[in-house]
Amino acid sequence: MMETEYGPGRTIPHPVMFRVLDAEADDTTIPEIKVEHKSEYAYYPGCVDYYDVEMQFSHMNYGDTNHGIIFDSSIKLLRAVGIQPMILDRSFMKCCGHDQLWQGKVDIFERMRDYNTKIIKMLGVKTLVTSCAEGYRTFRLDYKLDGVRVVHITTFLYERGLRIPPQPETAKRIRVAFQDPCRSGRQMPIDPVYEEPRELVKRVDNADLVELKTFRADAQCCGVAQMMYCNDKTKGLTRKRMDEATEVDADYLLTACPKCLTHFGCLHHENRWQPGEERYTYKVMDITQFLAERLPGDYPTGSNVDTKRKEPPLPGRRG
Amino acid sequence: MQIEYVKGKIMEGRQSGFPRQYGPERSDHQPGIPLFPQEATRDLVVTFILVAMMFFLSAFVTPFLGPARGPQLSELIVPDWYLLFSWGLLKVADIFPQFTIGQGTPLKTEFSAAFWGDLLSGIPVIFLLILPFIDRGREARPAKAPVRSAFGLAFLIAWIFTSSLYSIREVVAQRWVSPNGAALIPDFTMKWFFIIPPVLVGLTSYIALRRLGYQPMRRWLVPYVAGLAAIVVAQSAWILFDPAGLGVEARPFTVEIAIALGIIAVPTVAVAAAVLLAPESTARKVSTWAGALGLIGFLAFYGGVAYLDQPRALGWVLSVLWPNMNTLVLIPMFAVLTAWLGTRRPYSTYEYLLNECYQCGKCHTVCPVTKVEDDALGGLNLVYNTFKKQHDGVPLWTCLACDACSAVCPLDIQYSDYILEERAKVHARMAADGGQRE
Repeated sequence: MMETEYGPGRTIPHPVMFRVLDAEADDTTIPEIKVEHKSEYAYYPGCVDYYDVEMQFSHMNYGDTNHGIIFDSSIKLLRAVGIQPMILDRSFMKCCGHDQLWQGKVDIFERMRDYNTKIIKMLGVKTLVTSCAEGYRTFRLDYKLDGVRVVHITTFLYERGLRIPPQPETAKRIRVAFQDPCRSGRQMPIDPVYEEPRELVKRVDNADLVELKTFRADAQCCGVAQMMYCNDKTKGLTRKRMDEATEVDADYLLTACPKCLTHFGCLHHENRWQPGEERYTYKVMDITQFLAERLPGDYPTGSNVDTKRKEPPLPGRRG
Repeated sequence: MQIEYVKGKIMEGRQSGFPRQYGPERSDHQPGIPLFPQEATRDLVVTFILVAMMFFLSAFVTPFLGPARGPQLSELIVPDWYLLFSWGLLKVADIFPQFTIGQGTPLKTEFSAAFWGDLLSGIPVIFLLILPFIDRGREARPAKAPVRSAFGLAFLIAWIFTSSLYSIREVVAQRWVSPNGAALIPDFTMKWFFIIPPVLVGLTSYIALRRLGYQPMRRWLVPYVAGLAAIVVAQSAWILFDPAGLGVEARPFTVEIAIALGIIAVPTVAVAAAVLLAPESTARKVSTWAGALGLIGFLAFYGGVAYLDQPRALGWVLSVLWPNMNTLVLIPMFAVLTAWLGTRRPYSTYEYLLNECYQCGKCHTVCPVTKVEDDALGGLNLVYNTFKKQHDGVPLWTCLACDACSAVCPLDIQYSDYILEERAKVHARMAADGGQRE
């Protein structure tokens, strides 16, 4: 269609994941829906199951970035505040359509939206909890879910008063930085999620919250959005953001968006390629994983998790 | 001159990366010429030239100015229009208590009306001088700082508009009289102009601006609009039903006065009821219709009364309404307007907003993508090039939609909305061409 001076790499990449997700939208027949706990509180895990597969497929992650654990941690945290959520499983739900919308594929997005809206209405959901910043924005602004309260999990845990028990005496002080995702912060004209994650981190008694150089509404983007335009240039942005965490001497870099986690994890992994040349010594993880690790008890098993498993899923490709 | 050389000079000594970094340790590097000494020197030169010209003209070309104005020459003395506010403040100053402190000491201060007037005239200047030190917030957009904007608008109304009006109170009292010779806008009503309209303007702006930022404003609207409606109803009822409400001379025109009060009170009460009981979209429609019909009814009634050879009736209706202007004219107007602004759907379409852009370039300054691109030294401006559909659509597809540009935009343009629509258009065009690009 067009010959750019930059070459074809600058046009939209078409990873396998999007082919799969787009193809999913075509089938609008409603399968048999099995929910374990019928409840007015629903939890939508998002596409985290796809990320692990896609990232390993794209050779971006043999490290310890684990998307699947976001799901388990969220369920554990929700149980800790006394909620047994209805899990909107990917076996009958579709992707929320955020990436398709922002890639311009509005027709695919609309099919996904109509399908998901139908299911959510059918199940009688009153409160839809999502652990994903993009899902939060999309369900809140781009869907028309009248009568359903869409809430990010950090807001929900903060409202329900999540208590983190005192950490053992031997636990050393840790410095925790939080990356504000664009989608749940700047891009939300209503109820942006800035304070709640920070308040939750402050409840961990051996954690010191440190702010990156740019934070809240000024927070710099993690570098890649809607899974488009990932190259060495945008990796420079990711690196800049991760260097900010190095500058404040953080032990953990938390985020509330699986996409940020993907891209941070990718660079984290890349900089460990040669032993002894590690640029980033801190850990990168989702805020739900960070909080759930500090709660006692096992990880629960959700409907798309192996029921026999008693331990958290192993990181990376073995997970 | 070679372009590479220029670029090199521009970027000399500047670190790569963001030229403007936000956060606790923010280091501003603003391009341009410093105020001191470069700009200051140039401005001083211009200032001195102007002063020299003024001295020259006043020395050699002296106009005849005539005798100074005084009560002997003209009855009403007013300064030029831009100083009327100060004149009005001097006139209103006698409402303040007058006393003297420090009697018999060197620090004797007389709090006379003149002193209070000087003080009032000075307050705006003092306030403006200390404002940058009080308000250290970074928000520069009026629409994003509702409290500040509301205070500013109320202040403008109080100090500039109503005080200017008050400075010509003699003219108002003389020109507009009721059929029995009394002033239509008495001094008492005009003094209340210093309080009521600024408060109404301030609260209305606050509600409207917060709503513009997608805030649900029901908690503000319900007491505000309902309270205003209650005031209007109480005032109308008092005029109509209390023996002291209507003067003896106005009593024969009770029917006309009742119709006029009804035209004012009914839309206000309807809007208050809609805000209180109906959902937001209905309240919005009710306030639109109540406002439009109320205004049309108001004008039609006065036109009708004047046309039907009832100038006497019109005079008496006005003699009821105008002395109570604060409650019977301003409050209904602001109640309907506030309900209308407070229940509207905030904008989300980009066309209207993007056309507001005045190319300040803040978005380009904070755009993260241009900082890592090859031609970051001025070649690629993501926002501008997308808007002009340049660079073969590259800027459109390289945008991260991180909204850093919208966060600094002085006009609050949601650039990501534009990106959404443009990308959708490209895909629609490809689909129309028969297939996807691979």
